[in-house]
Amino acid sequence: MGNIDIRSVLTLALIASSFRMATPIIFATMGGIFSSHTGIFNVAMEGFLLIGAFFAVYGSVQTGSPLGGMLFAIVSCLLASLIFAILHLELKANPIIVGLGMNIFAIGMTNYLLTALLDSTGVYKSNLIIGFTQIQIPVIETVPVLGDLVSGHFPLVYIAFLTVYVVYLILYKTPFGFHLRSVGEKIDAAESIGVNPKKMKYYGLLVSGLLCAFGGTFLSLSYLNLFGEGMVAGRGWLALAAINFGGMRPVPSMIGCLIFGFMDALAVRLQQFGLPSQVVLMLPYATTIIVLLVSAIIARKKRMAGIGKQDDVDVSVATSSKKVEV
Amino acid sequence: MKSGSEKKKRLASWKENFADVGAQLFNYLFILLASLLIGAIVILLSGKDPIAAYVALFDGAFGSGLKFADTLDRTTIMILAGIAGSIAFRTNIINLGLEGQLYIGAFAAAWVGFTFHGLPSYVHIPLCILAGVLGGALWTVPVIYLKLSWNIPVLVPTLMMNYIAIRFTEYLIAFPFRDPGAPMAGSPRLAQSARLPRLIQGSTINIGFILAILIAIIAFWFLFKTKTGYEMRMVGLNKDFAAAAGIPVNRSYILALTLSGGTIGLGGAMMIMGFFGRFLGGFSPGYGWDGFMIAIIAQNHPIGVLPAALFYGGLANGAMAMQSATGVPQAVVAMVKGTLVLSVTVKVFIEGMRKRLQQWVI
Repeated sequence: MGNIDIRSVLTLALIASSFRMATPIIFATMGGIFSSHTGIFNVAMEGFLLIGAFFAVYGSVQTGSPLGGMLFAIVSCLLASLIFAILHLELKANPIIVGLGMNIFAIGMTNYLLTALLDSTGVYKSNLIIGFTQIQIPVIETVPVLGDLVSGHFPLVYIAFLTVYVVYLILYKTPFGFHLRSVGEKIDAAESIGVNPKKMKYYGLLVSGLLCAFGGTFLSLSYLNLFGEGMVAGRGWLALAAINFGGMRPVPSMIGCLIFGFMDALAVRLQQFGLPSQVVLMLPYATTIIVLLVSAIIARKKRMAGIGKQDDVDVSVATSSKKVEV
Repeated sequence: MKSGSEKKKRLASWKENFADVGAQLFNYLFILLASLLIGAIVILLSGKDPIAAYVALFDGAFGSGLKFADTLDRTTIMILAGIAGSIAFRTNIINLGLEGQLYIGAFAAAWVGFTFHGLPSYVHIPLCILAGVLGGALWTVPVIYLKLSWNIPVLVPTLMMNYIAIRFTEYLIAFPFRDPGAPMAGSPRLAQSARLPRLIQGSTINIGFILAILIAIIAFWFLFKTKTGYEMRMVGLNKDFAAAAGIPVNRSYILALTLSGGTIGLGGAMMIMGFFGRFLGGFSPGYGWDGFMIAIIAQNHPIGVLPAALFYGGLANGAMAMQSATGVPQAVVAMVKGTLVLSVTVKVFIEGMRKRLQQWVI
């Protein structure tokens, strides 16, 4: 075990696959940022990703096209998030409990539909599943290093990074984003300027459902074309950790996702070197805990520094840590 | 004169209590029927007969004395998991790490069970149980550190600890404690002295079931009749208020997590010592999550956990019978469970509907 050459582990391919591994987490994270800004800590994303992954496969088999699969995923995830929204916003159920209930329901439902619709248990793998194909970017493809890193990914990988930018624009550069954020930060102020908090919360939850559909589709229709019961493997929760890490801001949260993606990729890579899979597969989860700790330490340091000069208190960090607390 | 009015008052409050319990039962009946109805629709959509499926399910769970005994054996872990969830919830700690604590507790108990030989049962069994409880409790220590020292909510860390626990125990039985003779990845067999005595011939039910009921009663007494339990509930209701009243908030959090982890760790020990006889990788089909749901359904009341756990035990035991008799996949049970929990979350809504119904009737 001791004779692994670090240079043979840390390759360009590893970095490239980190982008790939980070993609579903980025989608969920960006969706979760929307609902977090309206004050809802969306713990159902794990379930949404699972629903998305299942219906993407089912839709792909039915329509014979990955885009058809994605459409199925989007519709089912929007429905699921609508149910979540109605249970919480109309029937006043506790969002954490509803979210956890949704996760359990999602496991049961996909499990059942896997048998009922696709006639298999545990895993469904078939030639009938049509997945996405990689995109080779002309010109860049031939550039050394850059080509290896940037070219040859699945379309949803590029869309994930684009989404980060779009989410940033929507949240910070449009009146809609300002209104959305105001709901989470100061609901009275939001109401006083005529924002309907309930409507914003609906938007927040539906957007998180929509983006989880993208994430779920990526999981089952890119790279590996299959659906497995355990394929989400806590990515919805990693997304929550990433949101916490980034203080609900899109770009810092994306960095959190990239750290998790890197650890995922590293775990797969280290397995090829004969390290026990059970040990290396702990890496992403252990990293999450460490990342949470580090971000708490940084937040506290910032606050300590802020006490000296009152004007510079980092409001975003202070409010975000308050909001995420359960 | 005075005593008469007091009597009247007591009678009135008793009546109120009775009406309250009645209302609760109505709620549960409604929720149960709604969930079974959704399950039935799903079965119907897949072209099977829902009534035959439910009859087979019920028959598999309660159809005969021995089947009922096996269901009670399944109920053991459900009770302990439900209690573990309730203790944490009461203190407003959402312990999503039950599954991981279960695995660690189970492995710790198994380790004591297969490592030591030649001990008398009355020493070996308590030692294994102690190991299981400690294993489950100690697995929460990192989460406690993050919560108390850095104010990190327990939600995500407890969940991450699940994945780590499952992989870690998989590693332990794949390398250091691998038994090449085991049918699937598993540890060596426990010494006979570490096995729990069975209660009835022909069923797996063992003294663990009695222990689980005792734990439920102790948990009730602890939460509702002791000062520490009161403090924990107060912290759960409003931690700022509790802190202002001089209640040790941090101590309550520590207790909530370790007691919760210890209880489910005990459940893991019971499964290994009573049912499996060795530690098996991936032995739990989600008992931790079942416990979580049971706690929600029982509204975190240790005594309420008992019927909810029996129901879950019955579902778990009957599902297999239903699948083999009618071809309706077991997964339908998971859907019913999910619907059940989602319906309980909207209790407020159901409560409102009941009141409206009452107005119409009267």
